[in-house]
Amino acid sequence: MATGVGIVGASYYLPPKTKAVTDIFRDEQIPAEPLAANVDFQRDIGIEAVHVASEESATNLGLNACRSVLEKTGIDPGEIDLIIDFTSIPEEYIAPTWSAAGIIQKEIGATRAFATAVNTGGCASYHTTLKVACSWMAAHNRYRTALLFAGDKVPEFNHTYYPITVICDGGSAVILKKGYERRQILSVEVATLGKLHDVWYIPGFHWRDPADKDRKWLHMTADIPKFNKEVIPINLFMFRKVMRGALSLAGRKQQEVAYYIYPTFSTWDQKAFCQAFMIAPEKVFTDGLQRHGHLQETDMVLDYVDAIDEGHIKEGDLVMLTTNGAGFSWGAALIQH
Amino acid sequence: METQIGIAAAAVTLPGRKRDVESLFQEESAMLNPDVAARLGIDEVPVCNGELASAMALAVCKEALGRAELDTAQLDVIVDYTILPQEYLVPAWNMSNKLQHELGAKKAFTVGFSGGGATNFLVALSSTAAMLQANESFMSALLVAADITIPGNRILNPSDPVSVLGDAAGAMVFKKGVEGSVVIDTELHSEGSYHDVCYIPGGALAHPDDPALYRMELDKKRFDKAPKSETLNNMLGSVLTRAGVTREDVVFALYPNLSCEDQQQFAERLGFSSDQINSDNRKHLGHLQGTDFVVNYLSMIENGIVKKEQYFLAASHGMGFLAGVSLLRR
Repeated sequence: MATGVGIVGASYYLPPKTKAVTDIFRDEQIPAEPLAANVDFQRDIGIEAVHVASEESATNLGLNACRSVLEKTGIDPGEIDLIIDFTSIPEEYIAPTWSAAGIIQKEIGATRAFATAVNTGGCASYHTTLKVACSWMAAHNRYRTALLFAGDKVPEFNHTYYPITVICDGGSAVILKKGYERRQILSVEVATLGKLHDVWYIPGFHWRDPADKDRKWLHMTADIPKFNKEVIPINLFMFRKVMRGALSLAGRKQQEVAYYIYPTFSTWDQKAFCQAFMIAPEKVFTDGLQRHGHLQETDMVLDYVDAIDEGHIKEGDLVMLTTNGAGFSWGAALIQH
Repeated sequence: METQIGIAAAAVTLPGRKRDVESLFQEESAMLNPDVAARLGIDEVPVCNGELASAMALAVCKEALGRAELDTAQLDVIVDYTILPQEYLVPAWNMSNKLQHELGAKKAFTVGFSGGGATNFLVALSSTAAMLQANESFMSALLVAADITIPGNRILNPSDPVSVLGDAAGAMVFKKGVEGSVVIDTELHSEGSYHDVCYIPGGALAHPDDPALYRMELDKKRFDKAPKSETLNNMLGSVLTRAGVTREDVVFALYPNLSCEDQQQFAERLGFSSDQINSDNRKHLGHLQGTDFVVNYLSMIENGIVKKEQYFLAASHGMGFLAGVSLLRR
């Protein structure tokens, strides 16, 4: 069952300034003890440096990615019917009251569109948004072109999501078109486990301690015991569930998948994924890990773009984009090249 | 749209306590003169007294699902249309996941939308109809919101008040193949330059520290300037043309309870009489964000205003930023 929607183009933007992870670990006082007998977080993470936005706003990161994808695809902003912000961490102003979608609409001049934001899914928000966008485009003939974007900027001393990864700032954007024959989205599967809703969260201003000069109310907070006890045991099962779901919806088999796009969290996470699903490491895009670390939901776009540009994905390939998000959500999408 | 998608049930949960508008104006140092009182047309609003938004949401979901006689385990998607800040910071966290767990909606996945004031409900409605339409296996969806006003922020734009905000939770169950209250079509349009007409400036990345900025702000000049009713009128024209329905066929309008003035402007521009819009809920509940639609829908059903096969619409200008018009048939 194809969605009838194809990816016209995708792009990303990384701010020029970088920061070495050794400096991040020092500044954020990350524990030096090994996580497990064979995993040392600081030594084995596999990330050398991440990009840091500094003065650039989160919206600007997304806007630069949008401008890049518009230039790359030659799409006239006046053609865009739908703009969806899939950013998964806080932006300039408080959500759900506000999202950056309106500014993007204004800045690129997408006068015909309506702009909204999908605010669930964590790093799987790209999949949730693909599901929503493809449904809108399938159900209505007037939604023919969609722009999906994200712009993520973490607070200055919140680049480490210990014990998972180190976060990079950046933006991404994707143009979808109904009836586009190339890079067809064959299926999108999303699953959420509500009981894990509070494994990762950001407290928010109303939980603020005025004496807290580090602004911890804006930092990603993890319930590590719950993560270890409830997320780790079920994570690969849920990956299997969404990937099987996406394959089943498209009537395809895992053996037909030529290439995988998977998040760039850490070396041990990538290894565990490949081992669990018996996927050869060369069939998964892993190069981005060392280059930039993890970019929340933008991993799915950035790694997809680089995998195409670097020749890992070829015409005719069936590509699986799969991720988990914030401990409670999983997504898988099949793209036919 | 080919498959019929309709409202199977709706419910609203209101906190037990109400506050009169006069005392709220005093508390927030705003001037309530006869002119302002007439423009607003709001006498009292429901006010939480320690209730959690997600607890109200859970109660209202249970009520709506019970009325729809839907086994929660069969629910396919939960859609959150809340517009005010939640228990933790959105989009990193979303109430819909907590609800999924507490309801036992094991099969469902969750989605929420941001921005656009009360129109966020229509975005949720439109996306829900599209998801049920486009995904063969999807049969039902739950829309839910729980909005609790930031303390001391009930008078919207105290220097020249535009509305008074109440607290509430609302839920609607949508099903494939439902006979009544069928969603015919929805038109949505945003004007990006108005993205910051109504927003909360503080507490996120732009102004993380300043408590004075952690409140809903309205730019009244730009709000007044925005062609709100004109836009809705044009959009209604498009929806009706696509559906092959005339204006005379539309017998009732569900419209937010922002203020008397706002409702009058809408009614005059779109040609509705005063009895084609609910104004009682505005007087006694004030503005409940997107849940205004649920409250007004329930009143419309209870009062038997719209007969079988008659058309009604739901419309909202989204504070000038995001306009939406949905056409439905009883």
